[in-house]
Amino acid sequence: MNATVSGESALVQTEYHTKIHVPGEVGIWVFIFGDMLIFGVFFIVFIFYRGLNPELFLQSQAMLNQNYGAINTLFLLASSWFVAMAVEDMRSKQVRLAPVFFALAIFCGAGFGMVKIIEYSEKINAGITITSNDFFMYYYIFTGLHFLHVLIGMGVLVFLWLKARAAAKNKMTRAGDIIEKDMVLIESGASYWHMVDLLWIVLFPLLYLIK
Amino acid sequence: MDTKAQLFCAWCGVGFLVLFSVGWWFIAGYIPPISPALGASEVAAVYQQNTGFIRLGMAITMFSAALSAPWVAVIAVQLKRIEGEFPALTYSLLVAGAVGVVVLVVPPMVWTTAAFRPERDAELIMLLNDFAWLFFVMTFSPFFIQNLVIGLAVFIDKAESPVFPRWVGYFNIWVAILLIPGGLITFFKTGPFAWDGILAFWLPLLVFFGWFVVMFPLLLKAIKQQEQAA
Repeated sequence: MNATVSGESALVQTEYHTKIHVPGEVGIWVFIFGDMLIFGVFFIVFIFYRGLNPELFLQSQAMLNQNYGAINTLFLLASSWFVAMAVEDMRSKQVRLAPVFFALAIFCGAGFGMVKIIEYSEKINAGITITSNDFFMYYYIFTGLHFLHVLIGMGVLVFLWLKARAAAKNKMTRAGDIIEKDMVLIESGASYWHMVDLLWIVLFPLLYLIK
Repeated sequence: MDTKAQLFCAWCGVGFLVLFSVGWWFIAGYIPPISPALGASEVAAVYQQNTGFIRLGMAITMFSAALSAPWVAVIAVQLKRIEGEFPALTYSLLVAGAVGVVVLVVPPMVWTTAAFRPERDAELIMLLNDFAWLFFVMTFSPFFIQNLVIGLAVFIDKAESPVFPRWVGYFNIWVAILLIPGGLITFFKTGPFAWDGILAFWLPLLVFFGWFVVMFPLLLKAIKQQEQAA
């Protein structure tokens, strides 16, 4: 490591080059594990109240459109894959396709949002709202809070896309250490997006599938 | 440089936590909350049986609420060190913190109004009780902004030795998001999102108190660092 680098970039570089590589900055994991902890509590609360009234939950679950849930799962899995590919490309000697991959990930995220809005409006037009019964209370609140995470994630992805585009344009390389600091940002954002995906992968079976 | 005033303000945060717990929890007995599922006569009975405790408890709670003002102010002073000449986030914190004091002062005054004439119509006591609880649990927005701007300020800290470590930024934003479920209590009388529910009340309460516990030593450290740097 270069001894003359300033304190801040030294900090970033040590974070990036630790023996066991933690993706992104360490702080983002405080947020990710904190958030997953809270959703974990949500899921336990849901399972508990479901156990008190299984018939109502099954009847209400039958009113959900599983196709929407499945399409959205595909959207998020695909976008996560695109983000992973983009990060791989950013790590390589020369940045080429990362902006394209990030753009595709944003497209999938937008697809998720469109489907979610169609799904919500169908339910609301059918007179099913947050106060209809306990199941739909959880349905709206859990998917709503998750949707909020998706919206934040879309902002993050746009930010990463801009970073990747700048890197590709300037032919920045990892070898040249120029995008070292950006790499930490990109991995942090990508980790967050993977968490959004992971939460949905638990939410989808919990709300739409379990019998 | 002299940091006594800042230390005094930081300790006001501890004073807030202790006095608030004593008044609101131990004397008035608002933990666990009065269930929103209770009928008017049951709610009125709570005020008729605990009249003295609620009056005393609310007087202490009302006083303790203002101790959060110096606490927010000293956090703002530390944020100002990050922001420098045009401290937009710092000002946001101050404004949100000032509104936060109002949110913490008004409910005790409404609760004590309910206990002022406990012999009055049970429906009216329930109305006051509803108003106080809704105001107290649902008004998460100033605290949301408060934690959000602290988080953002930590992120823009480019100093060689930053005022707060970066994980504190993520922690504050996490706390901000966790306060959101309180905003849902207007829809429910029972369950986890009612004002006595685990997700709308207990979790945000725990996190709000935990936030003080986490921020206090970090704040002392930041003040000490400032003292040594000067």
